[in-house]
Amino acid sequence: MLRTLRILPRLALMYFRSQMEYRGAFWIDRIAQVITYASSFAVIWILADRFGSIAGWNWSELALLFSFHLLGYSLGACMSFTQMRQLEEAVRLGTLDTLLTKPISPWAYMVFSGLNPGYTGHALLGIGMMAWSLSIVAVPWSIGWVAYFVAALLSAAMVTGATLTVIGATALIWTRSNHLYSLFFGFWELSRYPLNIFPTAIQATMLSFVPLGFMASVPVAVLLGKPVPILGDWAGPAALLAGPFFVALAMWHWRYALDRYQGAGG
Amino acid sequence: MSIYFAFARSAFMTQLAYRNEVWANMIGKLVQVFARVAIWIAIYGSTASIAGVSLKQMVTYALLGGAVTGAIRYESIISGIGQALRTGDVAVWLLKPASFPLYVLATELGRAAFRFVILVVPTVAVVAAVYGMLPPASPFHGVMFVAYGLLAYTIIALLSALFGLVAFWLLTSFSLEWMMQAILNLLSGQLIPFWFFPAQVAAVAAHLPFAWIVYYPSAVWLGRLDATETLAYFGLGLGWAALLAVGVALLWRMASTRIVVQGG
Amino acid sequence: MAEIIEARGVSKRFRQHRRFPGFLGALKTLVTAEYTEVEAVSDVSFAIAQGEAVGYLGPNGAGKSTMIKMMTGILVPSAGDITVLGRTPHRERQANAREIGVVFGQRSQLWWDLPVVDSFELHREIYAIPRPRFDANLKSLSQLLELESFLERAVRQLSLGQRMRAEIVMALLHDPKILFLDEPTIGLDVVAKDAVRKFLSRVNRERGTTIILTTHDLQDIEEICPRLIMVDHSRLIFDGETAKLRSALGSARRLMLEFASDPGPLELKAARLTSDDGLRKHYLLERDDISLVQVLDEIGDTTQLKDISVEEPNIEEVIRTFYQRRNAELPAR
Repeated sequence: MLRTLRILPRLALMYFRSQMEYRGAFWIDRIAQVITYASSFAVIWILADRFGSIAGWNWSELALLFSFHLLGYSLGACMSFTQMRQLEEAVRLGTLDTLLTKPISPWAYMVFSGLNPGYTGHALLGIGMMAWSLSIVAVPWSIGWVAYFVAALLSAAMVTGATLTVIGATALIWTRSNHLYSLFFGFWELSRYPLNIFPTAIQATMLSFVPLGFMASVPVAVLLGKPVPILGDWAGPAALLAGPFFVALAMWHWRYALDRYQGAGG
Repeated sequence: MSIYFAFARSAFMTQLAYRNEVWANMIGKLVQVFARVAIWIAIYGSTASIAGVSLKQMVTYALLGGAVTGAIRYESIISGIGQALRTGDVAVWLLKPASFPLYVLATELGRAAFRFVILVVPTVAVVAAVYGMLPPASPFHGVMFVAYGLLAYTIIALLSALFGLVAFWLLTSFSLEWMMQAILNLLSGQLIPFWFFPAQVAAVAAHLPFAWIVYYPSAVWLGRLDATETLAYFGLGLGWAALLAVGVALLWRMASTRIVVQGG
Repeated sequence: MAEIIEARGVSKRFRQHRRFPGFLGALKTLVTAEYTEVEAVSDVSFAIAQGEAVGYLGPNGAGKSTMIKMMTGILVPSAGDITVLGRTPHRERQANAREIGVVFGQRSQLWWDLPVVDSFELHREIYAIPRPRFDANLKSLSQLLELESFLERAVRQLSLGQRMRAEIVMALLHDPKILFLDEPTIGLDVVAKDAVRKFLSRVNRERGTTIILTTHDLQDIEEICPRLIMVDHSRLIFDGETAKLRSALGSARRLMLEFASDPGPLELKAARLTSDDGLRKHYLLERDDISLVQVLDEIGDTTQLKDISVEEPNIEEVIRTFYQRRNAELPAR
């Protein structure tokens, strides 16, 4: 275990050096990221500017929701998204086979050998926007509130990482799983809005099978003292427990999938 | 021409082979459409009409908006062209009696036809049954909507091909896919129709080629454009399509010359 | 010698989603959940002792790679059990991994964009190899396979032969007790193949590393592996000394008789005449127990006999005749 921890930074560093072999592409990716988020913010800004509020959330509250979502996502996704998306290819090309012959957890190897420095961009953007929105939202500042805020953010990151890992590991059984990411990002887009604007069926889904409601809508509603559909008073503890719970589920699923792994064939 | 039809047909069939994907896409599409409608309902709240647009019209707009962009996967055109150019696979195509960009477009047309029948029509029908949907403003607008729909497909396909070709020089196609998505979200009117934009921004956005992908087809259906405007903007859209086609042909020639000269 | 690998009645079945042909079939595929099972390995048993070099041979799809993947802990057997160094590989995958080395001919384990030596250093960390031992191994192994000239170069700039040599060296850096190689010479040129074979054979002899390799190239087996396991249609059909494969599969030796003057047609009971050029006559010795003396006895007058030779068929020929005969005997499947 201790040895594994020593190896992980080295893996991350090797990945970074590999990336730097393609510096041009790296910077173009960064520019693309800026454009992507600029467009997302523009959409929300136009809505807020035109309509003032959505389902009882005003512009600054929506901005907090947005930044919480962005920061939680970047923390969770840097540990999972690009790596898990590669899993399908790793199965097809047999690179996963080679990982399985090493005395190290294949999950840890994959995650750290693909630790994407690109997410620092997301994270910085999220932090900046969060600081700004916190300065204008009416916040009941207290130590308990801040502690809850930090814990909920970590829980949100865990939910993100767990969900993406579950999707990725499915490739071990089905050999294909990347189509599920389009399903994920469908819900992901929704999880940036207050949960109460959606039909009950979608709310229920986002609190269970596709737990992205816990990425931002539930914790931020709790933090701002807004009502949470379905969960009601349980929303507070649920938002904190969701992370560890779904991580445990993802770990179990990962093991289950490894046992069912059929290889690339042959 | 018949080879391209064969390409499209086999692409259509291949889609059926992966049933888990078909189901996942169908559910994903349904969620997305439901959600977009839900967002508008929340925004309207109890207001009957905003900027002269009723909630019913807005729901119809949200449903139509997914019809074109829901059927086409621009990212597979971008990465298809980008990858073939980068790996040099495209050299093989230069020897074949078929054009590579047309091959990619034909395959994607086959897939788009599949998604239109299997994904778009059922999901739009389901959501329309729940929330209601307005018919075209007039038979003329209905017919022109179909014409605008085909134009929308052509423009998004050409734009994706253009992005794919650019990917060859930039050595990355992922970021171009992201950029394309960002541009479409904002400038095609997919998420917010231009009539809710600040006036100056709307004026610019309405004349960029992206506007023909979602905004104009839906606006025509709703009758927001009168007959003359409908025809005039259609002509303008055709102009953009022609310009994009020239751009694709030009970049394609530059890229393939470079491959031939450098030997891949 | 101690047995370090044991396979007892091992089977592996793969489940595949059933697809129906045609357009309507494709629609049917969408709503059915029928599966077909394919058995890649059926009831295979063998034991391998410390220090052996074993070739695992069979046509495409015979289940060679599947067997390697089960012994290395990648796949879980559907039935039977495997013990490698006393462990069940898939249950104690990491402990097992520490003591084996694995090379896949078609998959690189090196970091594509970084110098070779960086991948080696990472390997040192992962396998917790003490620095002095790592340095000594790296030095001697790279000398043997002549890696020194390109250790500092990025992997993507290496030739296939250089890359394969680096892969093999990496798999040996932690002194594995067993080295598994899946098609290690695939795609290599003659010189590189020769270097790899000589090296593996030497590693087996001098370091006592047990070697198990799958290959399409029989020369690999002839030069490296005294023992051969052959599989076909998922079943084991031969396990024994490579040299004895001929008699096991029943391939005939060839006999050539050369005369000073043509004795005319000469039919023998001990051997079957296959071609007659007059002075030179070719026979097949179809039975193993027939000796040259019996043949000479049957000719009787040997005064005109100028030369005589008996040729063992090479292993490739043995296997070819085996498959030809099997295909003739088996009903089409």
